[in-house]
Amino acid sequence: MTERVSSPSFSRRILSEVLLRWGARLGIAWIGVLTLIAVFAPLLANTHPLLVQDAEGWSSPMLRFLGPADATLFGAFGLGVLLLLLPGRPFWRFLGWLAGLAILAAVSFALVSPPSLVVYEQYREAEAQGAYQQVIRAPIPYSAKDYLRDYADTGLEAPHGSGDERRHWFGTDENGADVLSRMIHATRIALSIGFIATGIALMIGVILGGLMGYFSGIVDMLGMRLVEIFEAIPTLFLLLTFVAFFGRSLYLMMLIIGLTSWSGYARYVRAEFLRLRQQDFVQGAIASGLSLPSILFRHMLPNGMAPILVAASFGVASAILAEATLSFLGLGLVDDPSWGQMLNQAVQSSTFNWWLAAFPGGAIFLTVFAYNLIGEALRDAVDPHAQSGKPAVAAKAAG
Amino acid sequence: MLTYIARRLLLMLPTLLGITVVVFVVMAAAPGGISALSLVEGQNLEPQAQKAMEDYYNRLYGLDQPAPVQFGRWLNNISPVGFAQNADGGLTGWPHFKVPDLGISFRYGRPVLDLIGERLPITLLLNVLSIPLIYVIAIAVGVRAATQRGQAFDTQAGVVLLGLWSVPTMLAGVLMIGFLASDQFWQWFPTGGLSRRAALDMPFLPQAEIAWVLPVLLVFAFVFAAGFMAFAAKASAALRLGAGVLLGAVGGYAVIQDLDALTSMLALGVGGAVGALLGGVLGRSEWLSLRLLMFGGAGILAGLAAAGWVLPGGITPGFLLDRLWHLILPVICLSYGGLAFLAKLSRSAVLENLTSDYARTARAKGVSEGDVLWQHVFRNSLLPLITVSATLLPSLLAGSVIVEAIFSIDGMGRLAVEAVQTRDRELVLSITLISGLLTLVGYLLADLAYAIVDPRVSYD
Repeated sequence: MTERVSSPSFSRRILSEVLLRWGARLGIAWIGVLTLIAVFAPLLANTHPLLVQDAEGWSSPMLRFLGPADATLFGAFGLGVLLLLLPGRPFWRFLGWLAGLAILAAVSFALVSPPSLVVYEQYREAEAQGAYQQVIRAPIPYSAKDYLRDYADTGLEAPHGSGDERRHWFGTDENGADVLSRMIHATRIALSIGFIATGIALMIGVILGGLMGYFSGIVDMLGMRLVEIFEAIPTLFLLLTFVAFFGRSLYLMMLIIGLTSWSGYARYVRAEFLRLRQQDFVQGAIASGLSLPSILFRHMLPNGMAPILVAASFGVASAILAEATLSFLGLGLVDDPSWGQMLNQAVQSSTFNWWLAAFPGGAIFLTVFAYNLIGEALRDAVDPHAQSGKPAVAAKAAG
Repeated sequence: MLTYIARRLLLMLPTLLGITVVVFVVMAAAPGGISALSLVEGQNLEPQAQKAMEDYYNRLYGLDQPAPVQFGRWLNNISPVGFAQNADGGLTGWPHFKVPDLGISFRYGRPVLDLIGERLPITLLLNVLSIPLIYVIAIAVGVRAATQRGQAFDTQAGVVLLGLWSVPTMLAGVLMIGFLASDQFWQWFPTGGLSRRAALDMPFLPQAEIAWVLPVLLVFAFVFAAGFMAFAAKASAALRLGAGVLLGAVGGYAVIQDLDALTSMLALGVGGAVGALLGGVLGRSEWLSLRLLMFGGAGILAGLAAAGWVLPGGITPGFLLDRLWHLILPVICLSYGGLAFLAKLSRSAVLENLTSDYARTARAKGVSEGDVLWQHVFRNSLLPLITVSATLLPSLLAGSVIVEAIFSIDGMGRLAVEAVQTRDRELVLSITLISGLLTLVGYLLADLAYAIVDPRVSYD
């Protein structure tokens, strides 16, 4: 019973202490805004009008062209809000959310199939011909991959606002697509790559580090050599090699960033577990014959979780930086929008296109800054005397 | 000590082996991998010639053999002792002593060792310039933040440093090139490379047509700088404020005027006002080193401007100045991130020692606060900074990949990117090996330096 009472109170204390700091509040607010933007990207920036009234009555091309990923995200968001309002232990609610997410993804990938042929020009042409009685468009009426083929020569235009037929708040990129729209859709990639890559790295790091710390001795020796090997290869170089040889896909990139950045977490978990394994509660767990996974993950891990969380929030920042760096070096996704890839276009041609540097670059900076602020606040809250700068190195190495 | 070093060097071998195995496995397991076919594919040869080329590559690199055998052959080539290789690629004769051979690059067709020998010094030059810069600024900021714990400077520096650390290197580089080097804005710096073509024919040091011009120029700069710095050190706060505002306004005006696109009175006024504000803040600052730096820099500029006005021209900048000119932006780009991290570290190290018993004892004996800080506390705070220097090197090497790509500098970073993009197996493996070796040697040197600085640490 005591365990149940003390465990949430510790995390609640940490949470309230983190929320006291204005830096962390700003960081969390920015991430929240980004999450909303990422989830509702198709509603914010879309060439398909939200609602259209023509001869056949009202219809919504936007809904018709929603992909399975969009449907999953909408559903996951709704489920998340619902579960936040429901009572229950946070852990179980989170598990429920994950399960719901899996079901949603399976259902929507099986059922949702938008038309594969997308003609963006049709709406603008139809509107120009007066086929629509009423059109409700998204705030930014351009999709991320709408290269505005019906207008001549739209590439690399500086931002221009009202008074024009077209309105590009953040200008256009070299293919003629609206930069703001691409940035809105790229939020998804940036956020998901941060979370999933860090999740993978955490999983590997916790398991390997846990085993190393728990068993010590020869396992520890061998494990530490492995950690050393991965630390001695510059992370960025390993990433480059992986991506160059395995091709470009979002999921592969997440996996690769995860696979190359686990060594720091393994070090932390190992150190924590080496400290914990001598303590009475662990000895008690061993003596009562609990299974190894139970000892490692139910008893030891929650007690050593705090410093790992700190490292993880810096890790998310560095994963986002890593993706941006790869895209910047021309090894990122090909057609999909990414902040780093837009930043790359800022100096690719002989002229300097400041809007391609300032806006996507600013977005990368703000997001990384937000995660670092949260990480700082977490570190101060977890251990007011902790002055270790280790996670800083890990985070910078990738970027 | 010697046995310790020997043991550490021996321990490096398995780690290096592991590093190359990891990278080799990545390359071998990749779809398509590396085959003779992938090397000759794009060359548009006739079938017979293509076949001959494939056979040639297969014989040279053993590309038609299974991956473990290929790796074994590569290991055999780089180790100083191993099997001899006969003409058709078979292995005979053990032991055979030879010079380690890193192989020939697929893409360049040149020995890898030559390529790396050309590129490595450039990357090392960037890093060797960055590291002292990072340390000096980081220690200055960190010590000041620690002595003023909790005050305005400490919190401001904390936020600013975290912000700097979050700025992606690409963003900083792109903005610097765009605003400070491109012809659309201020064209103060070169856009890329390490030297102008013309500078390669120049003498090493700057030269003037009339011999006495250069010393006089230096005297001008020195006198102005010394004067300004003396003013910054001695003058009262109000005087400094006035001088700072004046200098800032002139500077801001000049900067805007240098821009072709913006010459309206409004822009000039705004430039002057921003400059004045900045100059005022800096001039009034209580931080002596910052004031000295600012006024000294302004003094050098003023001295040079005055000298240019008085003296005849005809000065060739020379190779050295040109090289430095090209290095300024890349070095700044490479340094600012590590700066933030190191300043935080030195702050916490100094803080820890400031509250320690021996510092209190020193204060109780009547040692002045400055002596406590610099004679006692600071020297002990150096220890974590030394250990961390080892971890700084790999992150700088990674940073130079981006910096070299942005500023088109032909260093190791660019070579690495090219190597993985063209699937140049020998080059990728060798770069891995060498950067891994550098990193491990860095770790070892840091551990040794630790033992030298701290007599309590001994490895025997």
